[in-house]
Order: sequence, then structure tokens, then C-alpha cells
Amino acid sequence: MSARSCSPGWERAFDSKMKDTADEALVRRVAGGDERAFLELYDRYSRPVYATGVRLLGDAQLAEELVQDAFTSVWQAAESFESERARFSTWLYRIARNRAVDLDRRRRVRPLSVGEDPLRTVAGGPEPEAGVDGWDLARALSRIPDEHREVLTLAYFEGLSQREISRRTGVPLGTIKSRTTAAMKRLHRIMTRPLDEETQHE
Amino acid sequence: MSEDRFGDLLGPYVLGELTPKEERELERHLEACSSCWDELRAVWGIHNALREAAASEPPPELRARTLARAKGESSSTALSRLRWTVWVPMAAALLVAAVLGFGLLRSIIYDPSDGVPLTATALAPEAGGEVRGEVVGENLQVELEVWGMPELRENEYYEMWYYAEDGSRISCGTFRTGPGGRTTVNLSAPASARSYPEIEVTREPDDGNPAANGDEVLRGSLVQL
Repeated sequence: MSARSCSPGWERAFDSKMKDTADEALVRRVAGGDERAFLELYDRYSRPVYATGVRLLGDAQLAEELVQDAFTSVWQAAESFESERARFSTWLYRIARNRAVDLDRRRRVRPLSVGEDPLRTVAGGPEPEAGVDGWDLARALSRIPDEHREVLTLAYFEGLSQREISRRTGVPLGTIKSRTTAAMKRLHRIMTRPLDEETQHE
Repeated sequence: MSEDRFGDLLGPYVLGELTPKEERELERHLEACSSCWDELRAVWGIHNALREAAASEPPPELRARTLARAKGESSSTALSRLRWTVWVPMAAALLVAAVLGFGLLRSIIYDPSDGVPLTATALAPEAGGEVRGEVVGENLQVELEVWGMPELRENEYYEMWYYAEDGSRISCGTFRTGPGGRTTVNLSAPASARSYPEIEVTREPDDGNPAANGDEVLRGSLVQL
């Protein structure tokens, strides 16, 4: 695969070995002020945070604010993250969810009543588990090989056809097709049998 | 076309990227091959999840903005991570109330480094205080500074609370004061305390009762932004 032939965003995603680094190791680097590690985590999880914001708050502008707030918290609280207690994705999800409640409260310009469940007051607020799929996907995407992530990113996030991906990467069309399928199957395995894949990844 | 080759085409199939001939052959194969059918279901699930994720793409410029903000906020004082909107009763509210027909609190947005002021009750008119807060992990870390607090008896202590109008409270911790009724202490409460709009400091008897049963010495009001 040729990162040079990709879009700036894709080059950015491949400009370091960060891709192979587990979330929890990245957080440790963030605690030391590593901006590249921070941006790698952003690239992995800004989508589910943003999606959570849109889903809970029903407002794109507030969802952007949620992304900024959540990742600012990551930057500031990275030192307090304990990987033995929770996965990074779980930790970030809690931060995002709590911040969404705060943003919703501010929007409504009134403090919550005591005993009132904040999430119930958020428009369309689901139970926490309902937001997990996108988070699992984001985590799984960070665990597949670069060449797999590349074809999926180009196809789904940059909207390229298989033929366009072939041209851009210089990889034969037939290979792109089979690689796309292999990448999807791999993602499915990670999401349905995470422990097996964790072991392999480590 | 071989069995393996059919399996390889499932991704492009759900993306609608097969040639009409490939599509026909694959669909014919799927009718007879249960393992490929199972794989197709898995691939469909991933396809839908990816499409949903792609539809939730934040604006590209948000990446740089987020980094700038994270770094910017960290470079200010450590305790300026929370912004507070502080609601304090003002004499001017009476005038507004006269016009609007209900009591109104004037809202003031303080500079984060200013913290939230605590005002004295009639029990300790000389007392004052200030609270600054930050969320660290699952907790709300608070720095409380007080002055002019009445001298405590041996079997008494001060306690800071987050509370609501119905009387529900979350304790943020206890403390004693030094000369001049002054002290600065670091206290902690569950992050959920942020949903409580009021702060108070009470003078508690050391009687083993963890509930708030002492007199209110300081109070403040806030809504966290």
C-alpha cells in the first residue's frame, strides 16, 4: 500500500507507527504530553463521540462541542486513567456521556432536579449500552492491519469505489475486492470475539 | 468461480460494486452455500456499522481545534479546567422581579480562575470563601478556601456539601480552620455532585451522625457550564 498516494487525511493516519499502538499505551503517552498520541486517539474515537453527541443532543454544533470537551478531558485526565480498571473506549464513553448530560443541562438552562436521571432528560437518550456499537467498531478498526483499515477507510469514509481505491493505492482491483472482504470479516471477528483477537494482537 | 473466490466477493457485493455477471454468480452460489450465507450476514452487519460511522463524521477542522483547546486549557492554571456560571442573589433582582413577577437570579460568568464565591450567613457574617473545582476521572476535586470562620469547639468540624433545594446533599469532605478562621483544603466528591446546584459549609457536631445536622455558615450557588 502506498500512503503517499492517499489523501492528506489518510497520509496523516499513516504517518507513524501509532497505528499499531494499543489505546491504553497511547493514553500513557498523552499523559506525558505526546500530541501525536492524542491525535491518534482522536482519529480512532472522534467519530463515536461525535455520533454520541448527535444521538443524545440532536444538534451537530453541540456534538462538536462534546468532541472538544471529551478529548480535552482525555488530555487533562490521561494521568488518572487506569488501564487495569477499564478500557480506554469505556473510559472515554463515560466521559462523553457525562459531558453530554452537562451540555444538555446548559442548553436547557436549568439545573437538574435531585434524583432526576440526566440521561432521561437528553433528547433521545439511550441506555449506555445502546451507544456501544460504534465504540466497538472504532476500537476494532484500530486493531486490524493497516492494509485492511486502508481499504475500509477509503471505501466508507472517503467514499471511493473499489476501482478508485485500486487506482489510488496501485493495488490490483481483484486484490482490493478480496482485501475489502477480508477486512470486514476481520472486523466482525474482533467485535464478536474480542478476547481471541486481543490475544493475537498482544 | 471457486468457493474461496465467492467468499472474497462478499464485501464488494454489499457495497454494490460487483459486475452484473459477478453478482448473478454470487447470488446463485449463496442459494446453495450456507457458510457463505452466514459470512454474508456478518459482512452486512459490518457494512451497516461502517456506514453509520461514516455518517457521523465530525468536521475535519475540528481535529486541530480540539488539540488547540486541549493544550490551551491545560496551559492555564490547573484548577481552571471547569468553567462555572455562578448565580448569586442580587439586590437588582428585586427590581427585575418587580417587573417580571418572579424572583430572578443574576448570572455572572466568572473567569475560571476566580472560582465560586461563598457568602456568609447570619451566623458568621465575617466569614467568606471561595471554591474552585475540576473533574478528575470519576471525581470532582475541589479546592476550598475560607476565612473569618468562627472558632470551632473541640467536638466540632466544618463540612462542605453539594445540596439541592429539597435538602438532598452530597458531602465533599470535612475540615478545620486555623488562625483567623482561615484554611485552604482540597476536598473530593463524586462527579455526580455537579448536578447539585448549591454549595454550603456547615458547622457540624462530632456526634457520629454523618448527615448534615449543623448550622450553615457559608453558602454559594452555581450551575456548572
